[in-house]
Parts: sequence; C-alpha cells; structure tokens
Amino acid sequence: MKRKKQILCLLLAGMALLGAAACGQSTAGTEAGQETETVQGTETAEHTVTSVDDLPGARIGVQLGTTGDIYVSDYESDGSGTVVERYNKGADAVQALKQGKIDCVVIDEQPALRFVEQNGGLRILEEEFTLEDYAFLIAKDNEELLEKVNGALAELREEGVLDEIKKNYVGAESEVGKYPYESADVERPNGTLVVATNAEFPPYEYYEDGAVTGMDMDIMRAVCDKLGMEIKIEDMAFDSIIPAVSSGKADIGAAGFTVTEERKKNANFSDTYTTSKQVIIVADEDAVQAGQTLSEKFYNSFIKDSRYMYLVKGLGNTIVITIFAVMIGIALGFLIAVVRTNHDRNGGFTVLNAICKAYLTIVRGTPVMIQLLIIYYVIFQSVTINKLVVAVIAFGLNSAAYVAEIVRSGIMAVDVGQFEAGRSLGLTYRQTMGSIVMPQAVKNILPALCNEFISLLKETSISGYIGFMDLTKGGDIIRSVTYDALLPLLAVALVYLLMVMGLTKGVNLLERKLRSNER
Amino acid sequence: MSDNTVILETKNLRKSFDGQEVLKGITTTIKKGDVLALIGPSGCGKSTFLRSLNLLEIPTDGHVLFEGTDLTDRSVDINQVRQKIGMVFQQFNLFPNMTIRENIMLAPVKLGKLTREEAEKKAVELLARIGLSDKADAYPAQLSGGQKQRIAIVRSLAMNPDIILFDEPTSALDPEMVGEVLAVMKELANDGMTMVVVTHEMGFAREVANRVMFINDGVIQEEGTPEEVFGSPKSPRLREFLSKVL
Repeated sequence: MKRKKQILCLLLAGMALLGAAACGQSTAGTEAGQETETVQGTETAEHTVTSVDDLPGARIGVQLGTTGDIYVSDYESDGSGTVVERYNKGADAVQALKQGKIDCVVIDEQPALRFVEQNGGLRILEEEFTLEDYAFLIAKDNEELLEKVNGALAELREEGVLDEIKKNYVGAESEVGKYPYESADVERPNGTLVVATNAEFPPYEYYEDGAVTGMDMDIMRAVCDKLGMEIKIEDMAFDSIIPAVSSGKADIGAAGFTVTEERKKNANFSDTYTTSKQVIIVADEDAVQAGQTLSEKFYNSFIKDSRYMYLVKGLGNTIVITIFAVMIGIALGFLIAVVRTNHDRNGGFTVLNAICKAYLTIVRGTPVMIQLLIIYYVIFQSVTINKLVVAVIAFGLNSAAYVAEIVRSGIMAVDVGQFEAGRSLGLTYRQTMGSIVMPQAVKNILPALCNEFISLLKETSISGYIGFMDLTKGGDIIRSVTYDALLPLLAVALVYLLMVMGLTKGVNLLERKLRSNER
Repeated sequence: MSDNTVILETKNLRKSFDGQEVLKGITTTIKKGDVLALIGPSGCGKSTFLRSLNLLEIPTDGHVLFEGTDLTDRSVDINQVRQKIGMVFQQFNLFPNMTIRENIMLAPVKLGKLTREEAEKKAVELLARIGLSDKADAYPAQLSGGQKQRIAIVRSLAMNPDIILFDEPTSALDPEMVGEVLAVMKELANDGMTMVVVTHEMGFAREVANRVMFINDGVIQEEGTPEEVFGSPKSPRLREFLSKVL
C-alpha cells in the first residue's frame, strides 16, 4: 500500500516536472540571460558579436569536427580568452545560443538558414566567415571508387542533373522542392555503396518521413544510378564518419564535408560538388520571439509526419537491446562467477580464472561507451554487421562483468556452513551449489542484479554513438528536425522513467515473494 | 556396547594451515557403537581432527580409513562415503530457504536413496521421534536454537549414516536448551549409533561416552574410559584442563 503511494507520488512529481519545464520555457530566455550575466560578470565582460572581428574573446558554439570548429579553434589559443563550445549537433549549439549560454554559432550557411527560419530571435551576420568547398570522402586506399565517383559526378554535372538537385535544395525560393531527384530504373549489378552521413545537417542531409534525405543523399543516389550500385545510408555521429570510411565500415562519407588539409591526411576527397560558406548566427535582440505554444510544440514534436514513430521504433530497439544484453549478461556473468568461486573454494580452473579476472579488470576499468566504439570500429572493423547485434554484444559483455561480481559476492555472502552442510550430507559440489547455495545467493543479489539491469537499460542510451536508433537517438532525430529540445527530451526521459519504475516494482514484488519464506 | 567392527581409523593424521601444524600425527580406531568424546582446550585441534574424518579438511599427511576405504586416496568418491558419515555443526546449518520437512528430505531425494514419498514418510517418523511433528512446515528461522539442532541431527539421520560426527553441538545454545539436544544424542547412543563428539559438556562425556580422548597441541595427550580420564588423569596438562572446566 505504502509502495503504491510512493509510485503515485513519483509519477505525479514527474508530471509536475514536465509541466514546470514547459511553463519555464517561455521565461527561459530571461533566466538564461541572467545566468549569463552573472557568469560574465566574474569571468569576461559582456561580449556581443556583430562581425567576424568580434569573434576573439567570445564564447563560440560549433558542431564538433566541422570546419567551423577547425577555424575557430585557432582563436582558442591566441590569448584572447575565446571559449569554443563543441556540440554533437548544430541544433544543440543553436539551442545553447538561444538560451544565452554562448555568444554566437559558427556553422555552414544552409543549416544556419534553416535554424534561423525555425527559431525566432536569431539572425545571421551578413559578413560570411569563410567560403569553402564540399566534397565526398573516400578511403585512402580506395582509388578505384574515387575515380568512379568522380567520373559519375562529371557526367551528372554535364547532364545538368547536379544543378537540378542543388536547385531543389538551396536554389531560389521558387525553385526549392521543384526538382526532386527520381532514382533511375537501372540494373544494379555492382554491389552496394554504403554511404555514411550525419542526418542532422539540413538541407544536405536530414530525416523526413523516417528516412534520410537531402542534397547529398540525392547526389549519392544519382551517383549510384550511374555506377549501377545499390545505396545503403548509414546515419552516425559526424565525427564517426571519417573513422567509419577509413576503417571500411562505409564506402563513402557524404555529410557536407569541407575539403581541409587535416582531413586529406586521413581520407581522399572527390571532386567538389558544391560550395558553401561558414556563417555566424547570433541572437537578435530586436526580433520578437516567434514563440510556439506548448500544443504547437507538441504537435510539431510528435504528431506532425508521425514523428512519434521515431520514439516508438527507438523504444522497441532499446527494449530489444536491453533484453538480449541482459540474457548475455546473466548467462556469462553466472558462468564467470561460478569459475571464480570454484577457484576460490577448490583451487580449480586456474587458467580460466585468470582469463576471467583479466576480463573483469578490462571491462570494469573502461567506460562502456569506449567498449561499444571499440567493438564496432575495431573488432568488427571489416565485417558488415547489424548494429543491433553490435549493441547487444557490447552491452551484454559489459553487463556480464558486473553481474559476475554481483553473483560472486552473493555466493560468498552465503554462510560457508551451508556449503559444508550440503557436502557433509554427501551432495556433490554441483548439487550443493545448485540446490543450497545458489537459491540463497540469488535472493541476496536480486536487488543488486536488478539495479544492474536498470542501469543497463539506461546505458543503452549511448547506442546512438554507433548510429543505432534507440530511444534516445529517436528523440535526438525529432530534436534535429524541430529544433526544439524540450518536449522530445522530456518525453524520452519520461519513457525511461516509466520503464525503470515498472522494473523496480516488479522486482520488489518478486523480492517480497522470496522473503516471505523467512522472517 | 561396542563390537569389534572397525568403522573409522586414522593413521598418523597431520594437518597444517599455512605452515602451522595443527594436527601432529593422530592415530586411532573407532569401532561400531563407540561414543568417543573429544575434549581439550580451544585451538588444540579437536575440531580440525573431527572435520578431517569426513574430509571437510583435507589432511596434509596420513590416512583416514572409513570401513576399510582410504579416503585420502584421490580415486575414492568422497561424496559416496559422506553419505554414510553424518555431521552436526555448532551453528546447525539448516537451510533457511527450505521448510523443516524439505531440509530433511533434500539429501535422500537428491541422492536417489529414497523416493519423495519414502523420504516424506521418513521425515514424519524422525520428527515424531524428537517431538517436533508440528514443525514440519515451519522454516528454520521460526525455531529455537535447541529445536534447530535437534532437526539438524535428524536431518543427518535421514541418510541412515553408520557414524555421526558432532562438532560442539551445544556450544551455540542458550543453557536451558542444551538438555534437550543432549537427550536426543543420548538416545542415539543408547540405540547403538557410533558417534564422535567434540564437546565442552564434561557431564555428557562422562555419562554417555564409552571413550574420552584428550587432545592437546595437535596430539592425543591421553585417552581412556570416562572413569580413567576424569577419575585418575595422568598428565599434568589434563589435570590442569579438568581443574578449569569441572
């Protein structure tokens, strides 16, 4: 009864939080502004950016690994007090700018136009930061593909297809949307071209109706038509694309890549297919905040284009990863624990025990995110493998290490007298462990084990780092389309919370049932 | 009371822990129907000796022969042998997650000695014998210490052992519960069960045992009938010990 009340309270608190956050949004501007001022008062003077010359000393937001990042990084060490905030997504940088956490955002022109259009209270400085060329990225050792892609690009340019695609996305207002690229109906005997992109960069690549689209993607489709290849688009973090291409996980990187000397060291570039520029977005004090009401935001975040499906699909994937990872974790974890206790009690399994110990040390000594990246980019480097499988393996192996130690401590916590009583009755080691020690150990470790699975469920939220769409990534995709962080993040948080509460309740019931045997 | 069948025999039994020798060569013979009380100061090795008899402690050197089988021979299936050697612990070691009935039935059923029905019948019989029939479906945590120890004794009896080892069976009990446990042990002894008992209950040793062994510093210091050991102790160390405990 008491527990029911607690859960109800928690739920109410969660809802209240959601409501408060929603209301707080309209005043977020002023709150954030105040916060900024106090911070600036102690650190640096108020810094308004009105031209490129104002950049030194400002707090600049960029998307990690973009050319904007590369350019402004020069200011960081010149003693001007410049702070560069690197975000995983352009949209996050823009969000930070809106909240006054940074002074400006340096980003490619076309995404900047979209951001400003979708977000009130922002403007682009007329003075551009730099001009730059966009090209596709191909692995160093893949000269053959480079030649083929360049050949296809040249043909497309000659036929005018390239221009049409460009006009369709970044042309004059009357032209945009008028020239959608239709894939040609051709034979595709030459295999699959795996295209790595970061679909958070409109109009070059972004999600629409659940699929990745954009200018770069249309060009890639046109190139595939020319080469007689199937296309497979892999969405991943921007800074993962170069490693993915050079490790062979993907054949080509198409994500508005600017040609830079630094990048040339790691990969080849195709011929330039378009030019762009880096621009500076700043807050526009004069503009009236074109605020959306909460219901509009709700509509945009979830209802429009069935965007809630990103969350539904993501949730499905999160649940699948967690369930299979838990199964691997339990099976392997118990196995390791049995080996370790057997070694401690009987001195057997010397070699296996050493292997297990090394495994535990490595897995528990490194962050799960690094393990996930290593498994995907290093261990399965040259294998085409389903990302779901990679995530299940990574989280399963990680969880096993923690389960193993939980189980081992649970076994050790059972009084040794229980073991001796079993053995003295003539039961074998295995019978004693199975019928006497384990049932008691399981009861001891159930709460800890459940906590491990709850944290596993939450840890899967980093699956997006290998471009797998779990619940968190689903929310991120919505965020990258709507430029509104509030509702998608809260919705994702709420779903996690509900799952965890459900799990906790289930385990409490189970625990009570087990405990009812003993008082 | 005892006939001449040898149940257990130890030959020059030695045991060391981390280089520290606890048993320094113990040789003795236990015959059918013997009730052997092991007495001695704490740390003298009497519990280690007892636990070596069913190989809960693996002897460092020497031999333990049970009904002629050398248990220190690695090819011997120790689990088979232990089915015939019951053991009762100071801390009872009942299985807390099982009912009393399940505690008694577990080993005979698991080891295929009895069917579930037979084991159940046996459990009922054994519980009736110690007057705890009403506790069959209770859990150990619901019983007093004396009741738990009596259950532990009948749990070992369920396997029909040829000998039972008692490791300070009354040391963890409140004084008023010692009597009920000793009464059960006395009854067992009267029925002819072979028993080895590590005990501090000198009254029990004197009254029930037919042999008393005084162990000191890892060796058998003195051995004999209760009358000999308690009535005319020979070694100064035994005299000193008895003056303290009697």
